Amino acid sequence: MRIEISGLTKTYRGGVAALDGLDLVVPTGMFGLLGANGAGKTTLMRILAGLVRPTSGRVTVGEHDVSTAAGRTAVQRGLGYLPQDLGVYPDLTARQFLDYVALLKGMDGRTARRRRVGELLEVVALTGDADRRLRGFSGGMRQRVGIAQALLADPQLLIVDEPTAGLDPEERIRFRTLLAQFAGRRTVLLSTHIVDDIAQTCREVAVLSRGRLIFRGTVDELIDRARGRVWSVVTDGPPPAEGTVVSALPHEGGMRYRVVAPAAPGPQARPVEPGLEDGYLALPHGEPRPADGTGLPARPDGPPHPTSVDR
Amino acid sequence: MRPMTLWRYEARRAGWTALLGPPVAVALGVAAALANPRPGDTTTARILLGALEMAVPLATGVACASLVGRDPAVELQLAVPTPYRVTLLRRMTVTLGWAAVVAGLTAAVLIATGWWERWPANHGPFAGQLTWAAPTIGLGAAGFAAGAVFRSPAAGGALVTTLWTIQEFFADLVQQHLPGRLLYLFATTRGAVPGDWTENRLALLGAAAAFVVLAYVVLARSERLIGEEDE
Amino acid sequence: MTGQIARTLGASLRYEFRMQFRKRSVWIVPALTVGLFLLIGGSLLRDLFDPGEQPAEARTAVVALAVQLHALLSIGYGCLLADRLIRDDRLRVTPILDATPAPSGARLVGKYLGAGAATAVPILVVYFGLAAAYAVHAGAPHALGWALAACGVVIVPGLLFVAAFALVVPLTMPAPLFRVIFVGYWLWGNVVGPDMMPTLARTLIHPLGGYPLDALLDFHGIDGDDTWAGPVPGATLNFLRPDPTATTAWLSIAVLLLLAAAALAGGHVVRTRRA
Repeated sequence: MRIEISGLTKTYRGGVAALDGLDLVVPTGMFGLLGANGAGKTTLMRILAGLVRPTSGRVTVGEHDVSTAAGRTAVQRGLGYLPQDLGVYPDLTARQFLDYVALLKGMDGRTARRRRVGELLEVVALTGDADRRLRGFSGGMRQRVGIAQALLADPQLLIVDEPTAGLDPEERIRFRTLLAQFAGRRTVLLSTHIVDDIAQTCREVAVLSRGRLIFRGTVDELIDRARGRVWSVVTDGPPPAEGTVVSALPHEGGMRYRVVAPAAPGPQARPVEPGLEDGYLALPHGEPRPADGTGLPARPDGPPHPTSVDR
Repeated sequence: MRPMTLWRYEARRAGWTALLGPPVAVALGVAAALANPRPGDTTTARILLGALEMAVPLATGVACASLVGRDPAVELQLAVPTPYRVTLLRRMTVTLGWAAVVAGLTAAVLIATGWWERWPANHGPFAGQLTWAAPTIGLGAAGFAAGAVFRSPAAGGALVTTLWTIQEFFADLVQQHLPGRLLYLFATTRGAVPGDWTENRLALLGAAAAFVVLAYVVLARSERLIGEEDE
Repeated sequence: MTGQIARTLGASLRYEFRMQFRKRSVWIVPALTVGLFLLIGGSLLRDLFDPGEQPAEARTAVVALAVQLHALLSIGYGCLLADRLIRDDRLRVTPILDATPAPSGARLVGKYLGAGAATAVPILVVYFGLAAAYAVHAGAPHALGWALAACGVVIVPGLLFVAAFALVVPLTMPAPLFRVIFVGYWLWGNVVGPDMMPTLARTLIHPLGGYPLDALLDFHGIDGDDTWAGPVPGATLNFLRPDPTATTAWLSIAVLLLLAAAALAGGHVVRTRRA
């Protein structure tokens, strides 16, 4: 199920432009959406899920136009949505909650519905806790219930917004594996500001900043953005003034800083191999015109234009 | 028709006030009737019918006003094919339905024990059911609409209780003119012009329909329902 | 320790006031109430500005205004405050606040005074606005003094009483259920005649302020015929209805404030036990 977004703008009351002329194509498979808090990721998720109407622009999910009520309902029939702030009904057990959501998704047949709920409880390893009330569930357990409810109707489009925030490392790995297994012929849109989640599961990624697209390409291409711009600096003085400090670790004789900067931030700087986080930081966040060095906007459906700066 | 299981879940979501409100209202009314130090049949009958006409609608109105704005899973609800406003209407129906069961059973007991006809303005055992049905549905719909507009059970409940109190404290004033008489909630037990009763009951039901339509239109804009506490 | 309590109280009061003051419904509910009352022909304005209906004395006019507004607007007042305490749990702010050195009792009192004061502002704006308009219209500047007095001995103690119960009772029951019971209480405890059934109306526990109205403000209804306090022949609970004097009037105010304090203390104990 392909998603095509063109000229998408969403302005809230007070003139806040959460999305500003966004153009993006999301193919089938696992697709990552990165961006800082306030970049517009959640607004985009909500528009795709039919919760929020765009101010202008066009969004089609499969062949359905989400600007119409019929289109939104059609999308929601094939949608699994895990919102950033998952709210549950604490008085219900996990089984009852899933049963209820299944009914809301139109699964009226009792036998099939109960079988499906049982299957998903098994998938998210909650069979043993299925009949406990949700108020007694930990954050990780709730997230598992969340992903289970999203998968109930075997959706063609799965939208997960910040799914691993607050999970312990083991839960995060389990979550990512689950999502990746599900992807296959479906579209999974994973929105997060945890770069490692993208690195481990997605082949392609888009980066939003202030409501605009500033990168769209493969994970390797995003890493390449930082090639030749990542440095390791060991110093007992203050951190380097130029560039962005990615990490600071105690080291013999001072601190070891990992810095993303266009040029070596000092004589002690040594170039190191870039990672995805470095590539993300190397992007021009917050500049008025999203550009990749050519002065042209990022292409919504392909890799960025090659520039002399990248070489 | 959706499965009964869905209706049972929505009954649960309607909350404790929807469940306890009507029986508590009836119990308080019966207690007030029993505590009447000058138990003339007419006065006691009036208090008993008053429990149905005044207390049950109040409880139901407040319960309906608290259906919107406190749903922890509202974002999930807005992303499923079942429209959320239909879900909320289902919860309101359950709330009104349960009030109807409690009030109907109480009325049946009053009719069977003879207390119903001891109030001269009782309008019979069948049409007389509008004694509780019209104000309950009217105030319930008003509460639901207030909740939909303000998305706050506090504001919706405050408006419903204020409306009820004004009609309770200033019965004569409210009924001075025809529009006020037509929308007066307690026309059976405190009606100024008994001849207007049928029109009054129908007007309350008409007002209820208008409130439901208003709520339905307002709730179409799902964006208003998302987000942190609005107040 | 005292310094910490005072600082907590001050901070809590300030912020609870601000949060509540900003709510649209705190303003809309009283506005709609007054509007609805006037729409049905309520005598609020006639009693003040119609020469044919105005009472002879300014004192009677502004005190009658206080009684009408207090009776009407306290319902919305109590309903709007009903979820302010339990809100902290719903918004998951309680653990953050509990982890600070700020004493929870001081926070509760700050919330009570702050949120209560903010919710009272529109009521007082309506009251003093109309009283001021009357004072100008009738050429009776001393009316404002009487308005202040009525506010001090009738409206404020009543609102303090309502606010305490509105905050803490929803700890033990759903807030909407409290709203229903509160309205029933307001009717039963203020208006229902003691000769109809056992009731707290006209007793010392009278949030509408029967004893101060009668004994301190010498108010007997707009036509001078009503009695607001004191024993009623044949009624039960007459032991709570001493003759209205200045002493019993102040006693009534003290009883309301003591009951409010007891409610808050009880609520504090309930919250502490649950934590």
